[in-house]
Amino acid sequence: MPGVIGAFHELDAAVRAIEELKKKRLGEVTVYTPTPRHEIEHAINAGPSPVRLFTLFGGLAGATCGYWIATWTSDYWPLVVGGKPVASWVPYTVFGFEVMVLFGALSTVVGLFINSRIPRLTMTVGYDPRFSHGDYGVWVECSPADAAAAESLLRENGAVEVRSER
Amino acid sequence: MATLARPLPEEKGKRLMRPNIATADVQLPAVRDYEQVDREIIGTLHPTVAWFMGLGVAIFFLLIGIAAWCYQIYSGMGVAGYNPPVMWGVYIISFVFWVGIGHAGTLISAILYLFRAGFRTTIYRCAEAMTVFAVMTAGLFPILHLGRPWKFFYLIPYPNWRYIWPQFKSPLIWDVFAILTYLTVSSTFLYVGLIPDIAVLRDRETNPVRKRILAILSLGWRNSDREWRHFARAYLFLAAFSTPLVLSVHSVVSFDFAMALTPGWHTTIFPPYFVAGAIFSGIGMVLTIIIPLRKFFGLKHYVTINHLDAAAKLALFTSLIVGCAYMNEWFVAWFSGSEFEQAFFANRIWGQWWWASAILYTCNMILPLTLFSQRLRRNPTWLFIISITINIGMWFERFVIVVPSLSHEFEPWQWTSYRPTWVDYSILAGSFGWFSMWFMLFIKQLPVIAISEVKEIVPAKLRARHDHGIDASGHHLEFEPSTPGEFD
Repeated sequence: MPGVIGAFHELDAAVRAIEELKKKRLGEVTVYTPTPRHEIEHAINAGPSPVRLFTLFGGLAGATCGYWIATWTSDYWPLVVGGKPVASWVPYTVFGFEVMVLFGALSTVVGLFINSRIPRLTMTVGYDPRFSHGDYGVWVECSPADAAAAESLLRENGAVEVRSER
Repeated sequence: MATLARPLPEEKGKRLMRPNIATADVQLPAVRDYEQVDREIIGTLHPTVAWFMGLGVAIFFLLIGIAAWCYQIYSGMGVAGYNPPVMWGVYIISFVFWVGIGHAGTLISAILYLFRAGFRTTIYRCAEAMTVFAVMTAGLFPILHLGRPWKFFYLIPYPNWRYIWPQFKSPLIWDVFAILTYLTVSSTFLYVGLIPDIAVLRDRETNPVRKRILAILSLGWRNSDREWRHFARAYLFLAAFSTPLVLSVHSVVSFDFAMALTPGWHTTIFPPYFVAGAIFSGIGMVLTIIIPLRKFFGLKHYVTINHLDAAAKLALFTSLIVGCAYMNEWFVAWFSGSEFEQAFFANRIWGQWWWASAILYTCNMILPLTLFSQRLRRNPTWLFIISITINIGMWFERFVIVVPSLSHEFEPWQWTSYRPTWVDYSILAGSFGWFSMWFMLFIKQLPVIAISEVKEIVPAKLRARHDHGIDASGHHLEFEPSTPGEFD
């Protein structure tokens, strides 16, 4: 997808550029930042992460699985010990809890991978190694017709380097 | 987070207070910008002669342990010094010791993250790696304790032609689930936190082979706002899962003892007592590792005296909890009216194991009281000494729990003694070699301080001056934090 990337040394300059790009509606904006910053998060104003749903369903599946395996195997060999129930929920809560944590944690990571679109074999167009170092990158996905307007907007807001990518 | 302490003398009718220097400021004044963070932390990854020597020593001890284990497999468990009914000895003691070591890592990386304790930022990576390697070490001991260690997989519930399943009402199976879950979740938590840092290494690497390996390990991470948004949420949930997990794991380990009717074991205080002890021992190990590391890696301006002070306060706090649990044990023995329990505790203090109890109480209850002194808390040499004594004391705590109970049960004719053999000591030394080897390899391959998290607390470069503080609606104004060096 074609677009324009601008590199910024300063955080406030990058934030201002994002706000301007959002106002002008030139295209979808992606920001590369060496560390998460609330200022950028507010400027991007994205919705809540759906990772929470993966966590919820993974945790519920884990708790169910933990109780189920202990109960099912007990019923398979129904030996009554000390007059206690064959399937005893108190000790099986240990399995319900542990497997809930295991499945919940792993499904959270799966949610992170799916939503972040990783693992990725090739680097995204516009990414520059300096964005993991200290600079901020603002990528705006736009048609070649809007590229000039996006470039000038990024420069006006303090980008130290701007280039179009196709 | 900031606390007010140590009031100064009143001056001209005005009472002055100054913030507690250990917790009021979690910033790193000597770290000026992102470039410095990358340069200094990545700079620690170059191998040195001292590192190779340390790795060699660790592998040497590991080989001693492997040789002793081979001898034990060849000769049988009898060479390990067991004397019925004392059939749990150094291996189970070391198992509990190593599981406990791991707990402080999760406390620092997960629980303190949820509590937004700023001082964790520069020490949590070390602590989390320590957790993973400690649990890896602990997991070996139940296998070492098996007469036929190659049959260990019988513990795992898997479909098999014999239609036999593990006994899910046994605390030993609870242990298997708890430890495997803990190892998996801790490793995942460590790796997820490492992904952005591996991306930094990838982008700075010039060697094509290493760059390729780092590119695969970083999963193509590119620091986009989308990735950070989901990362932050996933990290929060992993921390939220790890928090009850860490409490459950040592509770389950304590059930190995508390579910038995043995005097000294059959008590309801064991779960909180074990969890507090585990965190206490883990903080001891964190200090043992981090104090030399900050010196040899030149990271004193990242892991500052303030960080050590805060960790020492945690050690002191958990020491007080553990001390309270020790006294509670005596009280319960007296108050229960059980002659067996009372005889057992009398034997623990005045009997054949008095010396082990003396080491335990001195190292875990008395010496940590020195940490009430701010001057001693801020003295790395003293902290290092205390951390070593905590490690020794906590190993002996498990010794005092395991051996005296088994050697002094209900029937006097069962009373016996226990003497570890060279095989026990060699395998114990081997476990330290195994743990140290992994840690030594880790510190030269991956950053010991979380680069991306340190950057969060380093002031970002700004073009213009911005207002700081909190607005009328209680929201923080943008472009925090307001610290010196912001406009440099």
